[in-house]
Amino acid sequence: MDTAMLYALRDPLGVPAHPVIFLVLAVLTWALHIAAVHVLLGSSALAIRGAFSAQDHWRRLADAMVNTAKVAVSVAIVIGVAPLLFVQVIYDPFWYTSNVLSAWWVIAFIFILIVATLALFIFYAMNYEIRHKKVRAPSAMIIAIIGFLVVGFIMHALSVQTLEPDQWREWYAPNGVIDASGRSIHAFDPWRFGFFILLSFPVIGIWLFGYRRYLQGAGESDAGYLDFLQRLGTRLGAVGGVISLILLTLWMRGLPEDISDFATGIWPIAAAAALIVAVAYPVLLGKRLDRGMWGYTPVLVATVAMIVVATMREAVRWVTLFGVHGYNPLDYKIAMDWYSTGLFFLTFGVLGGTIVAYLLTIAWQAGQTEGTYTPSRAVNLLGTAGVVLLLLWIAQYFGFGLWTAYK
Amino acid sequence: MDLIGLFPTWYEPLIGSGWVIGLIATIHVLFSHTAVGAAILFAVLAYIGVRDDRPELIDFIKKYGLFLLVFSYILGSITGPGIWYSTTVGSPRGISALIHNFVWKWATEWVFFVIEVIGVYMMVYMAGKLDRRTYMKVAIIFGLTSYTTMLAIVGILSFMMMPGRPEQWFAEGGYLYGFYGPNTFAQLAIRTAFMFTMTAVVGGIVAAGLKDAAFKQWLLRRLAIVGGLSAIVGMSLYPWYLGTLPGIAHLVMENRLPDYFTPSILIVLGAMLAYFALTFIRPKIVTATLAGFATLAILVLGLWPGETVRESVRKPYIAGQYLYSNQVIGHDVPGMGVKSEIPALQKAGFTQAHIFWPESQREITRENAPEVGRSLALTACSNCHSLSDTGIRPLKNYFPKQADIEGIKTYLLGALSTGNTMYMPQIPLKEAEAEALAVYIASLNDPDAVSRYRAESQTAQLDHRSDEEDK
Ligand code: HEC
Ligand code: HEM
Repeated sequence: MDTAMLYALRDPLGVPAHPVIFLVLAVLTWALHIAAVHVLLGSSALAIRGAFSAQDHWRRLADAMVNTAKVAVSVAIVIGVAPLLFVQVIYDPFWYTSNVLSAWWVIAFIFILIVATLALFIFYAMNYEIRHKKVRAPSAMIIAIIGFLVVGFIMHALSVQTLEPDQWREWYAPNGVIDASGRSIHAFDPWRFGFFILLSFPVIGIWLFGYRRYLQGAGESDAGYLDFLQRLGTRLGAVGGVISLILLTLWMRGLPEDISDFATGIWPIAAAAALIVAVAYPVLLGKRLDRGMWGYTPVLVATVAMIVVATMREAVRWVTLFGVHGYNPLDYKIAMDWYSTGLFFLTFGVLGGTIVAYLLTIAWQAGQTEGTYTPSRAVNLLGTAGVVLLLLWIAQYFGFGLWTAYK
Repeated sequence: MDLIGLFPTWYEPLIGSGWVIGLIATIHVLFSHTAVGAAILFAVLAYIGVRDDRPELIDFIKKYGLFLLVFSYILGSITGPGIWYSTTVGSPRGISALIHNFVWKWATEWVFFVIEVIGVYMMVYMAGKLDRRTYMKVAIIFGLTSYTTMLAIVGILSFMMMPGRPEQWFAEGGYLYGFYGPNTFAQLAIRTAFMFTMTAVVGGIVAAGLKDAAFKQWLLRRLAIVGGLSAIVGMSLYPWYLGTLPGIAHLVMENRLPDYFTPSILIVLGAMLAYFALTFIRPKIVTATLAGFATLAILVLGLWPGETVRESVRKPYIAGQYLYSNQVIGHDVPGMGVKSEIPALQKAGFTQAHIFWPESQREITRENAPEVGRSLALTACSNCHSLSDTGIRPLKNYFPKQADIEGIKTYLLGALSTGNTMYMPQIPLKEAEAEALAVYIASLNDPDAVSRYRAESQTAQLDHRSDEEDK
């Protein structure tokens, strides 16, 4: 597959804003997607571990983690939509080829994800009282975890296949005969996959610090449980961090010849450093963890670390596709569209920002309040602003729409 | 060399990729409409619960919220990307056309999705925890965002049929002309009406669980009125919708829709009205099972033909009246700098212009002709015609059992290459390509066709040789 062919596969429509915007959004939203996936996998794992423990703290944690997993699955899915969108805007030649060549798995992805999610909800619904009663239907949770791993593996293979354009023809037509069935997975990298999956352990470890702080805010009386969370979080961070670093090293060592320089460059070091900082940070905070808002900061630091990891992942794609194959996503033809570009950023920044801030604030504050929660005037105003913005949005939709359609 | 950005083809031999996509799309339409319907219903219940201070309604929302969550939001939010993924593999350039025109609209919709997901959890898990006014506000935000997701997607769906303002879009391009047109609003009106019908049926499942008999009766009667009226309104909007379709769609509709179509639509409408009338007169008979059954019936009887129509009426295009189902760009779109690929195909043929064409098949010989023919059928026909016995419009059924290769070749060059059919794209084929495809098609009905063709080729070669010897 030479460079001209890769360019020929681009959509002649071009892109409606500068490609770098899509690139940045793809990396940022993917970082959030994978962070939600880590919380999902990590909380599911802790839930099943706790479900089989006789210890009260573990059982309480299992209860909390089932609830976390249940929300995390929705968040992981809904956030996954964003990188899915942005990746195919600028990397369409790669994304579509990879998907079509494993079409059967792409379809299977959907059904496996449905089964896994339903299994998670079944486990949840069967175990309302997991804290005090024996676990029911643990197999549902195990099915869910296996399902999520398979789904993640399909995602992984699709990503890795995009990086090997030279193999595409052989995959499509082995020995010159077209195989259009899409039944094969053509490429995967166990170290890379292992790295992205097992990052769940340090991530959930750090998440436990945030959870601990949240309990403190709600006036938690069981100091032993808070200690338990801190110890467990630290341990998961340390052990998980080491495992992740090993896998990162193995992934880098196994990079194809033509980009092997990457392994010794700045990116893997940056990613490793970010991970080390993220897991060491709560330990370094020490006593400050219990003061003010400090207790939440490990989650923020970890989010930044995930963005660094996501950027490194993008850099692998860049050196492969641009460095080796000459494809530069940033020279995509631009068919600038101001209206829809502006509408998105206003919706995202103003409307979305306002409403999400409002909803999360009341959810968080209500969770910390005994009895009925009444928001402050400022928070109330935020909500009213959200409703007004929604109405404005609808008005502009019909305004521009009717004018365009019937003028 | 003129290369055309065609991707590999995915072909599902058993039922065809078209049906896989249709199936997932139908499931998604059920869940997403249900989700929107249920969201509205819950917002209304929350409103009544708060206004009249009826905590049992809030409890009810809490209890049935899980049902709403699992069955509509979760499944809706998985099957949504599901449609997208399945369209990606079935028609990569089709989805690409939608993405590259409307990426920001999709991204905007995504913002609403995020709000919706947070909203649905809050509706369910914060019921009774938030004070009344706050809970109401969350319900309003949730209800409005559910509707804005529909607003955001409907223009994209409509573009699959045709650009909003075709002339302007072809000439000037741009998001607005692509998204908005009379068809967009007609579709929006019908979908909105249908959303209320869905709310009414799904609401039945929810209402069946109410303890308070008087309230249950009150709610079911109202649902029956909403459902009946919206079904009638939705149906009466159909002529408007049809009027906004392009001329070719009318031709296709008159000639190509299955005979059962109109009657089945009328039967569905009649059955729905009967159901709503019954639940109005005797709300007591509504159980979760009955309402669940009604929901399913609407899915099978109502949505499937609807989706079939949308699929077949836009033939031969898959998007924007410029991209053919078989992924070839069939028209210039000057406003977007898009050029038809037909001239390049006429000049070079699929065998030269297709990026993924196997190298060993770029030259057509008598030996590899059947294989080249299969590759051509996969590339140019399989999007609309299954190559096996089953699936969508099996290709073999459209050719006589005893078809001779010459005859098929003549048809391909005469009708398809020139674009002389109504619902099929123009499919330019070089002469050697037409012959190869003809060999393959003939072999579908008659496995001996290939060996005869090869034998012929030997005689041809022999003839050729003896010609030379004669000299
Ligand atoms: C855009 C979708 C599409 C593509 C691509 C397509 N067809 Fe068709 N074809 C149709 C439709 C729709 C019909 C009408 C089906 C019916 O009447 O039941 C049809 C009918 C036919 C018929 C019947 C003759 C007629 O005029 O009614 C033949 C023969 C045929 N197709 C061959 C082919 C071949 C060969 C190819 C590939 C080179 C092909 N088609 C590609 C959609 C398509
Ligand atoms: C809940 C189950 C899921 C898991 C466990 C999961 C896991 C993963 C993993 C491990 C990767 C990285 C692969 C790699 O780079 O090697 C990934 C990438 C990705 N996932 Fe998910 N995922 C899930 C669901 C989803 C869903 C539902 C979507 C879409 C709506 C999605 C969209 C994406 C996208 C777009 C990418 C990146 C593609 C790229 O940049 O090349 N994921 N996912």
